[in-house]
Amino acid sequence: MSESEVLTVGILGGGTMGVGIATVMARAGHRTIIRDLDHQRTDAGLQGVRQFIQRSVELGKLDTAESDDILRRLSGTSELGDLAGCDVVVEAIFEDVRLKAEIFGALDEICDSRTLFHTNTSTLSVTEIASGSRLPNRVVGTHYCNPAALMKLVEVVKARQTDAESYGRTVTFLRGLGKTAVTVQDSPGFIVNRFLVPFENDCVRALASGIGTVESIDSALINGLRYPMGVFRLLDVVGLDIHKAVSVSLFDKFHDRRYACPPLIDQMISSGDLGRKAGRGFYSYEDSNLFGG
Amino acid sequence: MEREKMVVKPIGTVGLLGFGVMGAGIAQVASRAGYDVIAVDTDKSILAAGEDRVRESLVMAELRGKLSDKEAELAFLRIRPTTSIDTLSSADIVVEAVAEVKEIKLEVLATVGNVVSDDVVVVTNTSALSVTELARAVPLPGRFGGLHFFNPVPAIRLVEIVRALATTDETIDQLTKFVESLGKVSIVVKDRPGFLVNRLLMPYLNDVIQAYDEKLASAEDIDIAVELGLGYPMGPLKLLDLIGLDVHEHATCAAYESCHDPSLAPPPLLQRMVEAGYIGNKASHGFRVGQSGGEA
Repeated sequence: MSESEVLTVGILGGGTMGVGIATVMARAGHRTIIRDLDHQRTDAGLQGVRQFIQRSVELGKLDTAESDDILRRLSGTSELGDLAGCDVVVEAIFEDVRLKAEIFGALDEICDSRTLFHTNTSTLSVTEIASGSRLPNRVVGTHYCNPAALMKLVEVVKARQTDAESYGRTVTFLRGLGKTAVTVQDSPGFIVNRFLVPFENDCVRALASGIGTVESIDSALINGLRYPMGVFRLLDVVGLDIHKAVSVSLFDKFHDRRYACPPLIDQMISSGDLGRKAGRGFYSYEDSNLFGG
Repeated sequence: MEREKMVVKPIGTVGLLGFGVMGAGIAQVASRAGYDVIAVDTDKSILAAGEDRVRESLVMAELRGKLSDKEAELAFLRIRPTTSIDTLSSADIVVEAVAEVKEIKLEVLATVGNVVSDDVVVVTNTSALSVTELARAVPLPGRFGGLHFFNPVPAIRLVEIVRALATTDETIDQLTKFVESLGKVSIVVKDRPGFLVNRLLMPYLNDVIQAYDEKLASAEDIDIAVELGLGYPMGPLKLLDLIGLDVHEHATCAAYESCHDPSLAPPPLLQRMVEAGYIGNKASHGFRVGQSGGEA
């Protein structure tokens, strides 16, 4: 596998991450197949990629010839069997360790033994996911950041079973996508979430205990540490329910109290203040139809 | 001619105690904002070094097109270095920025209390000490508070205004206006260990050091992941090298002694690296500079 080799890449899951990753693959020149459970979901995934590519043309980042080529490389299916010819399969389905392990097990029967299996999990054990395959040595974690089509970082996670060849081919492949790969142990939260989640919870606890306010803490981070966004603004964008799920998952593994979800988050979830998508979180969002009517 | 006179007229006088790295940064920001600055330190060589720092920093700003030759010269001339603490009697506000050692700060603050008039606000620039405790050294604790500037002072917009238990609302108002006049953004924070920024930053830095020691990833990959994944201007290990591992250890230990929160406890690798003298950029040996990083 060289950086410029044209490959066939299967994407499992046509949700937000699947769409972003499929966009990256097709844009890099690979034949890209999105697979989801039924035609409706597969079509929604394909539509997501088309919209992104269309937007790139409107913004002048791609010309129409490039856009046509990209879309020609893209197809969809609801049949797992259609991934038989894939060189790489990237799994981006629901964040459930059993489902992920099972789907790689099912692909054992379908794919070549040299096919790389990539899992895009953010908090689960890649080692546990790999255990679902009879050839777990070719399973590698590739954690893309959202939005995957724009963010350069990919965390490459070596499971206990991952062999050096699969790891090396994965790094080469990611470089060909124009991504920057960092290598991390199979440890909960990898690098980014390992450090971000307790920091976010610390900020929420600082707010709850009166050490700072929403405004002073966000100003401290933006003006004092030059972070691109305040923590409460970020939590609102991510969604408090999603943040809680990630916190709970990491707490289950580490049993370190700093990963524990602060009571204030629970209360805000109970009162429906989930963040931007609900029209209100730490801030309120006037432009939402859901709130302030 | 008339216009030039107006430009030259200062908007007030800032008295500065301590002309080290932080003092020089504060002097530069205040003089650029239009204040006259009286910079006091104990001996002539420290004052000369402080002047060099300011001059160098102004030249850099000039090269980046931030100010004209004339403005840089004017800013430089507005700073008057002196070894005489009595000259602070003409200051409208006094900022103490001497070494981060409680005994030294208490002694200096006691002296300044006798020099300035009752209506002058005195502040301490500290990051690790209790402002409330330092307030006991001045005759009027109500007119005393903390101003926590961040290094490098000209580059970082934020200033934490620290309200000690005795600080009055009027003093907080005056400090808010003063910070604004410097072109900075202020937040008012409680006098608790680490105030706000460091209270949130230090546990994160400690987490990173511990995870690095456990071989989660290489130092470079940790920094890249944080810079690209979170958009922070600098990865945590590069930041620690810049801050100085000794400075971080001192600050996190001080906070830990006060709250006994385990997230503030210095990780063993940090302690070992400080003991070895691997304290970052200034020693040319830290997590990202020099050989072997923290693999010992």
